[in-house]
Amino acid sequence: MATAAAHVPKSSSRAARAARKLRPVWFLVGPMGVLAALFVTPLIILVMMSFQHYSIYGAESGFTLDNFRMLFTDPIYRAVAKDTIIIATTAMLIQLAIALPLSYFIAFRAGRWELPMLLLLVLVDELNPIVRIYAWRMLLGREGVINDFLVWIGIIDQPLDWLLFTKFSVILVLSTSWVNYTALPIYASMKAINPGLFEAATDLGAGWFTRWRRILIPLAAPGIFVAVILVYIPLFTDFATPGLVGGASSYMLGNSVADLMVTIGDWGGGAALSLLLLGAMGIISVIAYYLSKLNQLD
Amino acid sequence: MDSVQGTLAVPVARRSIGSHVTRAFNAYGGPVFAVLFVVLLYGPLVLLAVFSFNDSIVFSLPWSGFTTKWYSEAFANDNLLMALRNSVIVASIVAPVSVVLGTLAGYAITRLRFRLRGPSAMLLAAPLVVPWLVIGISALIFFSQVQMALSWNTVVLMQIVVTFPLVTVLVSARLLRFERIQEEAAIDLGATQMQVIRYILLPHLIPSLAAAAILAFSWSFNNFEISFFVGGFDQLFPVWVYSTLRHASNLPIVNAIASLVSVTEVLLVYLAYLLITWRSGARSSKEKADTFIGSIR
Repeated sequence: MATAAAHVPKSSSRAARAARKLRPVWFLVGPMGVLAALFVTPLIILVMMSFQHYSIYGAESGFTLDNFRMLFTDPIYRAVAKDTIIIATTAMLIQLAIALPLSYFIAFRAGRWELPMLLLLVLVDELNPIVRIYAWRMLLGREGVINDFLVWIGIIDQPLDWLLFTKFSVILVLSTSWVNYTALPIYASMKAINPGLFEAATDLGAGWFTRWRRILIPLAAPGIFVAVILVYIPLFTDFATPGLVGGASSYMLGNSVADLMVTIGDWGGGAALSLLLLGAMGIISVIAYYLSKLNQLD
Repeated sequence: MDSVQGTLAVPVARRSIGSHVTRAFNAYGGPVFAVLFVVLLYGPLVLLAVFSFNDSIVFSLPWSGFTTKWYSEAFANDNLLMALRNSVIVASIVAPVSVVLGTLAGYAITRLRFRLRGPSAMLLAAPLVVPWLVIGISALIFFSQVQMALSWNTVVLMQIVVTFPLVTVLVSARLLRFERIQEEAAIDLGATQMQVIRYILLPHLIPSLAAAAILAFSWSFNNFEISFFVGGFDQLFPVWVYSTLRHASNLPIVNAIASLVSVTEVLLVYLAYLLITWRSGARSSKEKADTFIGSIR
């Protein structure tokens, strides 16, 4: 408040006021210009393209809903969508099942290991994601280290075939690729919980399940919400993981978009499918938002 | 009341085998779980690095002897060198530009008051929410519409779009934490807003900005989706790894170079850590780590 009063006299002249009004423009003209030209414009063109027949070979047409009709009627896309939902949802649930106890451990029990654990979570984000997927592929293969090891210690006598190029491998690799993003926001929201609440609950006779159900989960709900938004949505558009460690049963919508665009060259169809994905993501975020609210009221 | 009495009874009733199991779980369950988790995250990369010295064309046991030949072969592979060179050039342009744009935007939305501040902040956050797949294909269509040939140039443009908003997040977090008293004092003493930026904010921000530059470099270097769609015939490192794997031939070379890249990235992050925590006022390692994690999340 004092500052506001202090610069009133200086800015009283009209020129100074005009200059101050223009200041945000000088700061934002660059960043906003970049976003307008290279982010908003391409998205608008994408929307327009989704209502046209368009391919790399040209052949533009007028307004049409054919792209969407194709996506909704072709049984292939329904099957791919089903697989995508199964894979993304399983991976998300696995990550929550890992991240909730892990965050609880890091926030309340880890002691001097709290910071090293956090740093490890942060560091893994800076490692190349394709390299991380690649490393799993090397481990999971029929002649990979995991199969070799299992045969060597005698648990199995034939290498397992389902370790790679299956839904299993895609879910495993997606989960390990994203679990750090799931854990960090949940950790942050748990860190804000007063540990005294747990002691009070224990004194009042609550078992661990009740403590988790009635204290930990409701209070960590905002973090869980952020984690779901941050992770569940990108899981739907991932195409590198299924491309590298997936097989026919784990072909996902992201692969469909990439193939429509790059291999088939049906840009109208690719644009329409990615718009549908974007819409589905909007719906997921709204649902996640309301779920986290409901949980807090509980 | 009932429940209280109930609990008082419980420990007595259960103090037998069950309580030992529970106590063992409480004591060791967490640490064991955490170790398993770290193994899951880092184990594959560590094994990758180990096997990059294995004298065998396949990635499998038993160990067939130590060699560094995959490293020398990697450095003799022209496609790989080209991809690495492209990625380093792209990241070296993307990082400084993103830091400048991100800082300008971060300053504007945290320190200036104007009517469109809310919408501006939303637009700045949008590239963080829209998946890179969608941004990538919309850019692919866009560049063909404006008849701009795809190359590492278009990758630079699009990576700036997805990278600078991350810098904005980082810088505005830093600015929000920075005490305004010093700025207010300077204004009371007659400093103009530009002088405040020049003599007060920038000196405080410089370590964060340097760290942001390093992180932006690594984000750009690691970005796969954008480079995949708008790279054209210019291959970037993640795309090279991806396509080499899809048409597998020289996998041991990938092991070698992937290990080398990972080690470099760890060192870069360590450098960013030193820069962010340097002069941040954090003394204990706890405060340092908090500052660091707060700055890049």
